[in-house]
Amino acid sequence: MRRNALTYITLVIGAIFFAYPFLWMFFASLKPETQISELWFMSENLSFKNYSTVFAKIPIVRAFFNSLFVSTAITFSVIIFGSIVGYALSRLNFKGRDLILFLILFTMMIPFQITLIPTYVLIVKLGFVDSYAGLIFPAMMNSLAILIFRQFFLTIPQSLIESARIDGCNNLQILFKIIIPLSKPAVATVGILTFTSSWNEVLWPLIVVRSEKFMTMPQLVTIFVVGGQAGSQLGVQLASATLLALPIIVAYVFFQRYFIESLARTGLKE
Amino acid sequence: MSRVESKAGYFMVMPYFVYFAAFVAYPLFFSFILIFHRWNIVTPMEFIGLKNFVRLFRDELFFKAIINTLIFLSIHIPLQIVIALFFANLLNKQIKFRAFFRALYFLPVVVSGVVITILWQQIYAYETGLINQMLLGLGFKKIPWLVSPEIAMPSIAVMATWKNVGFYIVLFLAGLQSIPNELYEVAEIDGASNFQKFFRITLPLLNPTVVLVVVLSTIGGFSLFIEPYILTGGGPLDSTLSAMLYIYNQAFYFNHMGYAATLGFFFAMVILIIVIIQRKFIEREVY
Amino acid sequence: MKSFLFLFILFFVFGCSSDRKNAFNQANKKLTYWCAPNPEEIELAKILVDKWNRLHPEIQVEVQALPAGQSSEEVLLAAIAGGTTPDVCSNIWPGAIAEYIKAGGLVALDEFEDFDSLISARKIPVDLLESFRSKDGHFYQLPWKTNPVMLLYNVKIFEKAGIERAPRTYSEFFEACEKIKELGIFPGYTDIRPIWWQRFFDFYPFYIASSGGRTFFKGDDLDIDYEIAVKVFDFFRTCFKMKYFPITNFQVDPFLSEKIAMRFTGPWTITYLEGNKPSGFEYDFAPIPVPDDYQGKVYTYGDPKNIAIFSTTRYKREAWEFVKFLVSEYSDSLLLEICNQLPIRGDLLENKKFADYFNRNLKMKIFAEQAPFTRGVDEVVEMKEVFDAISREFEACAVYGAKSPDEAVKNLIKRTKVIIEWSK
Repeated sequence: MRRNALTYITLVIGAIFFAYPFLWMFFASLKPETQISELWFMSENLSFKNYSTVFAKIPIVRAFFNSLFVSTAITFSVIIFGSIVGYALSRLNFKGRDLILFLILFTMMIPFQITLIPTYVLIVKLGFVDSYAGLIFPAMMNSLAILIFRQFFLTIPQSLIESARIDGCNNLQILFKIIIPLSKPAVATVGILTFTSSWNEVLWPLIVVRSEKFMTMPQLVTIFVVGGQAGSQLGVQLASATLLALPIIVAYVFFQRYFIESLARTGLKE
Repeated sequence: MSRVESKAGYFMVMPYFVYFAAFVAYPLFFSFILIFHRWNIVTPMEFIGLKNFVRLFRDELFFKAIINTLIFLSIHIPLQIVIALFFANLLNKQIKFRAFFRALYFLPVVVSGVVITILWQQIYAYETGLINQMLLGLGFKKIPWLVSPEIAMPSIAVMATWKNVGFYIVLFLAGLQSIPNELYEVAEIDGASNFQKFFRITLPLLNPTVVLVVVLSTIGGFSLFIEPYILTGGGPLDSTLSAMLYIYNQAFYFNHMGYAATLGFFFAMVILIIVIIQRKFIEREVY
Repeated sequence: MKSFLFLFILFFVFGCSSDRKNAFNQANKKLTYWCAPNPEEIELAKILVDKWNRLHPEIQVEVQALPAGQSSEEVLLAAIAGGTTPDVCSNIWPGAIAEYIKAGGLVALDEFEDFDSLISARKIPVDLLESFRSKDGHFYQLPWKTNPVMLLYNVKIFEKAGIERAPRTYSEFFEACEKIKELGIFPGYTDIRPIWWQRFFDFYPFYIASSGGRTFFKGDDLDIDYEIAVKVFDFFRTCFKMKYFPITNFQVDPFLSEKIAMRFTGPWTITYLEGNKPSGFEYDFAPIPVPDDYQGKVYTYGDPKNIAIFSTTRYKREAWEFVKFLVSEYSDSLLLEICNQLPIRGDLLENKKFADYFNRNLKMKIFAEQAPFTRGVDEVVEMKEVFDAISREFEACAVYGAKSPDEAVKNLIKRTKVIIEWSK
């Protein structure tokens, strides 16, 4: 009994350790500038003034929709193409199959540091700088997603596929009408992984996008805080950070089980 | 399992092939060209042979950046493993609300690094930061978390651990739960202490997870960019200059595309070598 | 047939009159002129272009401001590469001109036969003029305006501290700092962020001040004066070590709020100070302090901006006429009045046309006296990275005291050589 108490206490301390900073950040963004460094949340002078400043100074709503659009587009693309390629690699026989598998594994091995600059040059040459295309195209397919789908599809009983073929379905129909509905865990995993990582991605947008019109949300907040537009108003900076955290936290509150399981599953896959 | 020889396979794989050609093969190929040129994108490329490499080997700042990254990893990885194992162990016991705790510890993992960094900038601030306020309240002196060249990088390492440890707690927890209880029971019958149980059974069986943690943390550590970019700009005295930040500045602040590509290439080789070495040293057969 | 003849006559009368034809063709001559994006220069440009257009209906000039929020140098370089350059631009920073020339984007101005007479009419000192000559011997930029960096000080605080006149040497400077410190005020301030252009307001002006106008490079080769560089690093290291300069970033302007007594800045500050100073606030300017044993004129960094004609122009002659107009006495007096910036001419204080302005703006007199003794940056492509290296050494040696001035200069030379070797 005593040992359990110690365990619980430690866990609670840990919980405070991980949660308190977020709570502090939210309340600090509501406080007047002079009270920000106080440790306790409450204060008599809470107001949303800093948030109005953020909305007035930067197009954060547009950035939110940019991020939403780009991340959704990327996620859809990765799921669709990932499942198509994963299906072909797991259930079809054709000459280049092993070569493609090798290329996929090879791609995963390459550190991005080497392709970053040349990919940027390619985007410039294609005229995709400052555009959604520049943000979406380089992320349209993902080797890990392909492998996850392939792995999962290998477990689908052949009989199901055979009977669908006898019914006259072509490959794409088999994939989308039969296999995908059976692969919800894989789709969820790939979907959540892709969406989260593309939403949080900030280095690539910083490189490819210079115009505020196309900036993603993390990028806009970064430039806001680093570039001095927030001046030295800490409250305003924290408000922008809170706004940035909000969408993912909301999604997390509803879907946290899927988040955790998806990310854990990929770890185990390795 | 029979597989039908299928031309459809070609067509289904074609999109990936196009993507690979455009975003993997071409960049790799072009990087091999870029590293022998000087280019600011605006005016034509200039062939300069091996000059980029000559400069790289005389570039103290770049090597400092790599060493900074190694300092970061040397603190971040052990800290991560110890804390993750500790909490995973606790969560592995028979407790209620396990899902709640797990979810809470995992929260910083999914939140954007930008948010975490802005938040910790206030936690670490010298005059008005949370930690220093607490220290002052307890009668201690303020610590120059991000202002001292010696402490700045370790501070960033601690922040990165705070952000990512939840992920590794989950991984270790899954690993722990896959260890059959019988092993422990047998050991107890043989009179093994908790200490022995941990080091003889738990750790060896967790080895695959440990390797994973090390490799993923290493790759993450080598990508360190947004944290120094926001917190310190690489200072003070270039102690938090990460390799990616230096490469970014060379490419987009000074417009040295060729040199930046050379740095990226060299850095990628360093990463590959280190990852291979790590796997050799840490991986053990699990029986 | 009759109607055809009628049309033919009409065409002949209205279409072929030679005067009209020339006027028609000449009115087609249009020049584009890009000016700097700040409001005063835009206003100046509009007035000048307006006057020119009225005087020269056959050569119309259209003025556009360079985009704000973007580095003008990058915009110009991109324009050169894309062939979208204007005919004339007046925001040419000498530090960037090396790249423009390399890309073949500029017209050699000394090829115009009245170039020399224009220069002598403006009485530009020879050594200052020479600093704008490019490596191949030609002039691709016409010296236009300068903003010398000088010492700004709070007159009232000096009085209170018992300082009789602005410090001229390092020793006098430190003495003054000691006296001001007793008042509980920081004597001086410079922004400690290791951003490359910050050094234009501390290290670089101090270096030029005591080098007799020598900059960092001779042609393509590093020609830094080791002793002077060491002395300058040592000066700033003392300032930070003795806490004459704070290691903080101020939220509110520290000079007007009397948290600091001195700083190093240019004439652009005057407009800001006049507009925001509390009542009773008095300030003045003085030359940059030099080492005690320095004899000779005190120079400084002038942040010059010059005028250039781009090689894409279709009307070289006309562009040159317009450029000459931009540096005429009329235009220069407007540059003074509207922008409070100094034209690069040697007769600022003798020329009657400007006398009225300087009588009304006494503080600008000091800058006018300093103007002939300024320098810009060398025409080296990697100037930005060289100053970045200086900033790193400055941070390590002066701000943090982690290196001796000797080590700092040695390291600076080493890294600069690596950069320059690579860029050749």
